Amino acid sequence: MRDFELLEPRSVPEASRMLIEHGEDARLLAGGTALLLALRQRLLTPSHVVFFGGIGGLNDIRYDERNGLRLGPLVRHAELAASPIVRSEVPMLADMAGRIANPQVRSQATLGGNLCYGDPATDPPTCLIALDAHVRLSGPDGERTLPLESFYVDYYETALKRGEVLTEVMVPPLGPAAGAYTRFLKTPAEHRPLVGVGVVARMEGRLCREVRIAIGASTPFPVRARAAEELLTGKIVTPDVLEEAAAMAASDIEPLSDFRAQAEYRREMVKVVLRRTVAALFDEPNEKLTP
Amino acid sequence: MSRHTVQLTVNGEPQEVEAPARRLLSDLLRDDLHLTGTKRGCETAICGACTVLIDGEPVKSCLMLAVQARGREVTTIEGVHGDNGELDPIQQAFVENGALQCGYCTPGFIMTTRAFLAKNPQPTRAQVREALSGNLCRCTGYMGIVDAVLDAARRLSGDRSRGSS
Repeated sequence: MRDFELLEPRSVPEASRMLIEHGEDARLLAGGTALLLALRQRLLTPSHVVFFGGIGGLNDIRYDERNGLRLGPLVRHAELAASPIVRSEVPMLADMAGRIANPQVRSQATLGGNLCYGDPATDPPTCLIALDAHVRLSGPDGERTLPLESFYVDYYETALKRGEVLTEVMVPPLGPAAGAYTRFLKTPAEHRPLVGVGVVARMEGRLCREVRIAIGASTPFPVRARAAEELLTGKIVTPDVLEEAAAMAASDIEPLSDFRAQAEYRREMVKVVLRRTVAALFDEPNEKLTP
Repeated sequence: MSRHTVQLTVNGEPQEVEAPARRLLSDLLRDDLHLTGTKRGCETAICGACTVLIDGEPVKSCLMLAVQARGREVTTIEGVHGDNGELDPIQQAFVENGALQCGYCTPGFIMTTRAFLAKNPQPTRAQVREALSGNLCRCTGYMGIVDAVLDAARRLSGDRSRGSS
């Protein structure tokens, strides 16, 4: 690992100023599980590392019925998985957080770091896009809020502008909807998914009133399956309808091809995983988390 | 490049080390504090041989800067032992269940197990396997290790029901 200057801001505005001052030569460090790997392999060689993880007050988990869940960027995956309020109000999020990578990574890696790194081979972005999460960004021009869906621009590329940092993740209340997230791995020993599918639906029996479907890990950045959503909305979800929706979603994506899987395999598995996830949701909409 | 003072607690003792920004926690423990029980294995966060506890939570110390541990309580394998210097129940269970051959991965497994059993004292076999998914052993396979963790859980709950630590 190349040596670097470590900067230790005490506040978000100070971190933002440091990022502006050093531009492309600076990187933000939160939990470090992704950045340290890139530094050690010299994929990144910043002259300055801004230690965001040392700023206090950015790891709150709050919930209220009107606004839903508000998460600080430094909330760690293990905290999200164990949080009673997350488990009761947004169980699919807690369930997903408890499955990321492995226990060591979950107790070090942060939600904000995960979202901002833009690595496609991960779970939180896909799960949170299905949940209609928004992110609050803070930078030199003040604050702005974006749907997480528009935060992802391309492979490892986000909408963050120079000097901007993510300061909050907001997840609206599920209300009468229910959701599920599925990650698909090459082998059970793998730590990263090759397909992830998140589904949130408002159902009346097998009638689909409204649905949001997000696909990730198989595409350069996570995407909505809008055509499949439109097809399912207002319909009784029979195996035939579901098959058609899954095929539509799979044909709409531009899958990644890498050492984890070839594009056509990913496309096929998106179809399978999407079909299974929606089917399971309509079969058991109120399935509770196992303790 | 920048140098930093890192004050932290290691196995109950306060320590202060001056280190360059890029010093990893695993290197601070091994090279500055000479606690060589923590192993460097793959150094790419896959094998888990470098696992230590920070405030009771397992982390891979090869993937963390030393400055990130500032002000925290670090526990390494050197901090794991029985009341009178004998093996602690997890270590004893590893010995008796044939859970090690070369032993290089063992400190990492023991630290992960310690954090896991503190949170989940009566785990199922499947839960043990998931809990150990961030640690690799290239000698024994995992049967003996999983057996050892389940055995350690029984030993520890026996200790608790007798009222000792």
